[in-house]
Amino acid sequence: MAEERPEIQGVNQSIYDFRYETHASFETDAGLTPEIVEQISKEKNDPDWMREFRLKSLEIYQKTAVPNWGPPLDGLNMDQIITYVRPNTTMRGKWSEVPDDIKNTFERLGIPDAEQKSLAGVGAQYDSEVVYHNVKDEVARQGVVYTDMESALRGPYADLVKEKFMHLVPPTDHKFAALHGAVWSGGSFVYVPAGVHVDIPLQSYFRLNAAGAGQFEHTLIIVEPGAYLHFIEGCSAPKYNVANLHAGCVELYVGKGARLRYSTIENWSKNMYNLNTKRALVEDDGIMEWVSGSFGSHISYLYPMTILQGNDSHMDFTGITFAGKTQALDTGAKVVHNGRNTSSHISTKSISKDGGVCVYRSEVIIGKDAVGAKSSVNCDSLMLDSKSRSDTIPAMDVRNADSDVGHEAKIGRISDEAIFYLMSRGLSEEDARAMIVSGFAEPVAKELPLEYAVEMNNLIKLEMDGSTF
Amino acid sequence: MGEQNILKVNPLPTLTWNHLMLNFANMPLEAASSKKADIPSEFKDIETGMGREFVSFVESHASYVRIIRAGKGEDLGVIKDEKAGIASEIILIEAGEDSRVTFYTHASDSVQDGQITRLVKVIAGPRAQVTVIQSQTVGNGCLVGDDFGAVVGDEAKVRLIQSELGGKAAFAGGCAALKGYKADFTEETIYFGDESRRLDFSYVTRHTGKKTTTSILANGALFGNADKVYRGSMDFIHGCSKSKGREAENVLLFSPTARNRSIPLILCDEEDVDGQHAASIGKINKDLMYYLQSRGLTENQARQLAVESRFNPVIDEIPDEAVREEIHASLERRMNLD
Repeated sequence: MAEERPEIQGVNQSIYDFRYETHASFETDAGLTPEIVEQISKEKNDPDWMREFRLKSLEIYQKTAVPNWGPPLDGLNMDQIITYVRPNTTMRGKWSEVPDDIKNTFERLGIPDAEQKSLAGVGAQYDSEVVYHNVKDEVARQGVVYTDMESALRGPYADLVKEKFMHLVPPTDHKFAALHGAVWSGGSFVYVPAGVHVDIPLQSYFRLNAAGAGQFEHTLIIVEPGAYLHFIEGCSAPKYNVANLHAGCVELYVGKGARLRYSTIENWSKNMYNLNTKRALVEDDGIMEWVSGSFGSHISYLYPMTILQGNDSHMDFTGITFAGKTQALDTGAKVVHNGRNTSSHISTKSISKDGGVCVYRSEVIIGKDAVGAKSSVNCDSLMLDSKSRSDTIPAMDVRNADSDVGHEAKIGRISDEAIFYLMSRGLSEEDARAMIVSGFAEPVAKELPLEYAVEMNNLIKLEMDGSTF
Repeated sequence: MGEQNILKVNPLPTLTWNHLMLNFANMPLEAASSKKADIPSEFKDIETGMGREFVSFVESHASYVRIIRAGKGEDLGVIKDEKAGIASEIILIEAGEDSRVTFYTHASDSVQDGQITRLVKVIAGPRAQVTVIQSQTVGNGCLVGDDFGAVVGDEAKVRLIQSELGGKAAFAGGCAALKGYKADFTEETIYFGDESRRLDFSYVTRHTGKKTTTSILANGALFGNADKVYRGSMDFIHGCSKSKGREAENVLLFSPTARNRSIPLILCDEEDVDGQHAASIGKINKDLMYYLQSRGLTENQARQLAVESRFNPVIDEIPDEAVREEIHASLERRMNLD
């Protein structure tokens, strides 16, 4: 009996695996040259500083080596990646005005549905451009700004955008941050004024439809002192045989006493190179909360980073990674404690099956002045078969004596004792295994708002053969 | 004096972010011309914790190579290193079936300058029990490299104890290839960093045999401007089913200018294993300090007690009372900061 394990299926991708012919109004040639970057800048009607910023980033990109650590990036040929694809539409504020094929895509993903039911605002990006943006009136009346990055560059917050854009993640950070600086397109700008509590989450959805394309959206969120925001992002793409690239950048500014929760459910298709960079800067008494689910993509490098700059600031990271066949998902978190009495807690779960590779990678840095800092890291890895792989690579760098850093990691399979116990309570072996895997993923699921769970359920639908659970 | 070589030692078994400077350590060693030591072929390919560059350096510089062979069922007792404290030495131990051997080397504070590089390689046959103790309390002018590698056979038990308490910089490593069924490896390290001492460690266990077990435990204390790096890696290789590994590191920090870096790895491509690691880095528990002081101890005495209670299980393993006393006296002197 023990040898015949029930098959635990990976994440059901089929509902995302649909695509439409691309009818782009403008496409750059494959590959990356200063001319292409100039062309993107011109097409996007960039301010001068942004055009210069792009060209400088390209120089850095060309000088910077690809990482010598992490999963292989050999399959990624930048000469073949179309960096910028603009859908044949301008941005709409009404759902009915969005062209049919794009609208159908998002309707299948449940975006308008989710908006009607539970969200304060929605932004939808199709390939390189934001095609839909809407904020509920009552949220807008509170002074909350939720718009696409291009509008933000020219709107009343232009100076603020200029000051903050790629300030937390400079193009010198790594090769793909430099690439992002050169070819970024689309994304969201959110501004929450001081003291405003946005009761219901804002959502943004990224969809890459064109084959062999790259998506480089930039998300900039500023939560002023005492304000609160929950921002949810979801990502998906259909399957193609050529490699797609996602090198987005997320910059989050959490003001004094403010709180920001940033939830991501990522389910890119299995040919995607997801090389995303996310970073948050937290001021005094601020709270940054990350909820991160990584299910899709072929290769992922994803380590949301938090800089606890202010005194008494706090960070919480809850993550789950599920790597199946052909996937190598290198995920984790980074935290830098600079302020006094700062605290951080990282809790991650990873599941590997069918030859999938999960890597948990992290760094916890306690700076010289971070007196009274506390950090705890907890990571659990579950191996569902012996074809798969799971590695844990956590680094800690402590530079002052008045701090406490704890780390715990566990790796293993579903224990026979747990199965035996559940079976003795009347469950079949299949149901017992299914229940244990669901329970393992539970800490992340419970961090998401109930309304969003409908879509989340679609994304992490674990099919257990023969299970009734 | 020869020319200085910068060796890449203590490599991490898999790479991570370069900016952390944890992927390997740079070890500056004085090179002298010497003939290559003659190493029997069965010992040549044994992986060590400090890595190929260090092994190659020691093989080119060792003025003393000793081969210890324990025959089937033989108990060699404790073998002391008669050349302890020389610049470079290689000890090769082959323990046959059901044999027992303990090798012990200590470099004392009579060595104040220069460099000491020590390499021990072990082949443990079925049910053999081998213990290697590398200890040093050398002076602040001396550079130390303590390396170890073992191949552990069926039901054999190999134990490595490293006590790194002195030197201007101490690099130490250990690697065990757990090839046999129920092969077992235990590693215990204590280290003491004060003044501007640099400490750098790397331990790796490669589990290939079934039901293999590992226990790695490090206890350290950092004072002054000490800078320490600890790498501990358990590698569960496909096929090592029912293997188990435990790794823990406890670091007590006493100085705002000391720096501690730790990177405990688990690498795994076998489902049926149980691996756990834990690290605890920080100041002494306030309640413990309060309790000890309420019992009449001064702050310094309380600190000493906390450090020594963690170090004693390892110090007690040193089979030489005079050395144990030397270590206690040295720790007491160095912790007496008032």
